[in-house]
Amino acid sequence: MVKNICTASIVLAFLSFPLVLWSSDVFPYDTRIEKLENGLTVVSVPLKNPHIISYYTIVRSGSRNEIEPGKSGFAHFFEHMMFKGTKNIPREKYDDFLTELGAGTNGYTSDDYTCYFVVFAGRENLEKVVKTEADRFINLYYNEEMLKTEAPVIEGEYYSSVSNPGRRLYETLRHEAFEKHSYKHTTLGYLEDIQDMPNQFEYSKLYKKRFYAPDNSIILVVGDYDHEQLIEYIKKYYGVWEPSNYELITPVEPPQEKAKRSHYKWPGQTMPRIAVAFHGPAFSDEKIDKAALDLLAEIGFSRSSPLYQRLVIEEQKCLSIYADFPDRRDPPLLTFNAVVKQEEDLPYVEQEIFTELEYYKNEPIPEDKLEEVKSNMKYSLARQLGTTDGTAGVLAFYVNLTTDPNSINRLFDLYQKTTPQNIQEMAQKYFTKKNSTVVTLSGGEEQ
Amino acid sequence: MKKRNRYKILVFVLGLILLISACGKKPASNISTELLPLEDNPLVCIKFILNVGSADDPAGKEGLSALTFRMLSEGGSEEYTYKEISQIFYPIAAYLDMQIDKEMTVFSGIIHKDNLEKYYSIIKNMLLNPGFREEDFIRIKTDHLNFLQKTLVNNMDEQFGKEILNLMMYSEHPYGHNELGTVKSVKSLTLDDVKNYYENHFVQGNLTIGIAGGYPAEFSKKVLSDFSALPPGKTPERTLPEQQMPEGLHIVIADKNTPATAISMGFPISITKSHPDFFALWIAASHFGEHRQHLSHLFQKIREERGQNYGDYAYIEHFIEGRGKFPATNYCRQQQYFSIWIRPLSNSNRHFVLRQAIRELKILIEEGIPEERFELTKKYLINYTKLYTQTLDERLGWQVDSRYYGYKDFLEEARERIPKIKIEEVNAAIKKYLNYKNLYIAIITQDAGSFKEDLVANTPSPITYSNPNMPEDILREDLIIQEFPLDIKPENITTVKAEDFFKEAGVPSEDSMRAS
Repeated sequence: MVKNICTASIVLAFLSFPLVLWSSDVFPYDTRIEKLENGLTVVSVPLKNPHIISYYTIVRSGSRNEIEPGKSGFAHFFEHMMFKGTKNIPREKYDDFLTELGAGTNGYTSDDYTCYFVVFAGRENLEKVVKTEADRFINLYYNEEMLKTEAPVIEGEYYSSVSNPGRRLYETLRHEAFEKHSYKHTTLGYLEDIQDMPNQFEYSKLYKKRFYAPDNSIILVVGDYDHEQLIEYIKKYYGVWEPSNYELITPVEPPQEKAKRSHYKWPGQTMPRIAVAFHGPAFSDEKIDKAALDLLAEIGFSRSSPLYQRLVIEEQKCLSIYADFPDRRDPPLLTFNAVVKQEEDLPYVEQEIFTELEYYKNEPIPEDKLEEVKSNMKYSLARQLGTTDGTAGVLAFYVNLTTDPNSINRLFDLYQKTTPQNIQEMAQKYFTKKNSTVVTLSGGEEQ
Repeated sequence: MKKRNRYKILVFVLGLILLISACGKKPASNISTELLPLEDNPLVCIKFILNVGSADDPAGKEGLSALTFRMLSEGGSEEYTYKEISQIFYPIAAYLDMQIDKEMTVFSGIIHKDNLEKYYSIIKNMLLNPGFREEDFIRIKTDHLNFLQKTLVNNMDEQFGKEILNLMMYSEHPYGHNELGTVKSVKSLTLDDVKNYYENHFVQGNLTIGIAGGYPAEFSKKVLSDFSALPPGKTPERTLPEQQMPEGLHIVIADKNTPATAISMGFPISITKSHPDFFALWIAASHFGEHRQHLSHLFQKIREERGQNYGDYAYIEHFIEGRGKFPATNYCRQQQYFSIWIRPLSNSNRHFVLRQAIRELKILIEEGIPEERFELTKKYLINYTKLYTQTLDERLGWQVDSRYYGYKDFLEEARERIPKIKIEEVNAAIKKYLNYKNLYIAIITQDAGSFKEDLVANTPSPITYSNPNMPEDILREDLIIQEFPLDIKPENITTVKAEDFFKEAGVPSEDSMRAS
């Protein structure tokens, strides 16, 4: 028994791949970028880690693209339709292909993009995967009946989290905070729009034509394969994909002129919650705004922060406190969240969050604290890059934002350059009362 | 040149001997080890696995294991408060996670090897010299009470359904309470209970230390030496009572104001991974309900064909989703159960889908796995399991689980055995271990009383579709499903107000519903 386990250990020792974290770039692997004539971007990261290949298709369309009334949640719905197959490879055959491959596969939809992944073992399967995925994206076929059958699944997905008060708080917050931009709704969409999805067959065709095109998509491949071979396959199978040349113009969110607030009464008992949000800057790997605020979120609201330690550990008023500063192509909300133990403490916790923000507006952060956060971010990233699929997941996020995998290195360079003064300036710029939206949620009595 | 080569070979062989002697070694102490040295890997994963879990909670003190072990991972050491530990951990992106199940508890962390020494010096004291401060005890105990009273019942219906199923299956059994305990039992726990439990259970004989990744050769010896300071004892082997099969269909309906119905159903089975029949039954379960995969037959019938909900799956052992959709490791149990998980669906279709799931189980048992799915499912399992061990945590986790169930490498064993399994063996395993007539069924829905009446009366349950042109074969099958008889005796249906769960041990009585 011992002998066999050790054999496995030795093999694994040789199979593991080096991760040189402290080179000048935080992303330690060579990335190769190619652009096909039809506009399709290919990001390739060959690794020595054997067997596993992560094959991601990133369509730069998410709930951000749902700019028309009544169409909230459509990007996510269309993600579901993308599993319906083609005339060449109908759904059942596509499912069987992935089953035989033993692939880890799925899709997810975010505010800005929709991602489809096939994670599988064996480079000998690469061509089959490229060919099948290309066929799916170029030749997707479904009829109105298939769409009508799939639409209620989205309602089922909505129901899967209907008992989660955190999701309801999040929906309410976005709806309150945004006036015009499509970030007003969540990726899942409004329930009334979900229930109308069976009637959206024609719109679904328009949606595909606009967004499911090579000039709006990225193929990201990470793992054990030959790069030249990959490019050959991609050119062969994706070359005929027609670009859409569609230009999306998202509504510009006007500056918020006065503070907003709202309360949601949850049916049944729950831990009370509060979200304090501000309109923030879009992602940038050049401008300091978002990078500085990312660092502030960590310093002020992570588990080691003074506020967390006071409210969660010492005073025990809160179950948790955390900041949510997502990277988005358009300006998102920067949100401070707390799950509170007693409803009567909601005003106190709100006051403490605003007081903390005032502190960061008035005082520069000590240099040593800033260095701790930078260190945490680098080590956290190193953990995520420990596997082929972890690496692909991280890169998918950054290439969706800029189409350039080097964004991740530029962003970490920005973090490195950020000074306490930068952070103080950004706190003063964004954390104003009139730019704030506060949403609280509390439960009712036992039913 | 030749000499140098010989020297290299000698060094390699010596290294190999050292490595072999380090792996899977039972040291002089009573602590077991699982080592996976990967020299080039920049990360190190450390696991402290205790063969102790909520099944070891003393009667009336349910939740004591969870509270005790969380006091170690989130309660500070004698040397440092939890606040100080958080501040030391933060710059090195470190955590000490704790997971607890019925018979196994795991403390684990992943750290960059730059910071291994610092990290280990902290967690060593967290585990060997815990602080047991009153303020941490109050904080963690309050968290557990809030979870049982508010969160589990009101904010996570899918998990709520699975917990009710557990209460039903394991009445009067050490598995039969939530890992966090009951409201009544947690309220009764004291800091002295925690200290005593720690003294008696965090002992050498219960402990396995697992280390994987790029750690220095002497590190594992140091860890083993440090933890050998623990008392040498061992909790006596747990003898579990025989599992109780239901007679007929037993249903518990948790009544709450909700637009969606959550359903979990199942029954104990007599085999675990350690049994040779497991592999054949695994093929059947994978075909019938592979977790979050299109391969799942239930998923195809309920979601893909009819759009009823987000997904429908089946399992032949306790399943916790890990990274991605792969099974999490280190939830090993002596006794396992079969279950079907129906994700929330519209209340109006609850009766139909319950009928459909049970009917599909009946078809599986009577007709077996379809021939064309059999080979496909085998190929799937052989390839899909290759994705299970991508992270250090997963590699170490599967190594531990392999040992628990008596394998050198369970996944390798599976990939060797599965190709040889014949369809007759799968169908025999289905018939031997599965059934559709004796089920525990947990349902969370509203208007429990009227649903109970429908269930007892076998009221037909037709459904409608937004697609006016549903395929004829599906509509024909629907006519059968909507009338499919479920033989449920009224005395086997219990309706309970949702908020009455987890106050005390077991399924609450119906009294609260009658009162309302």
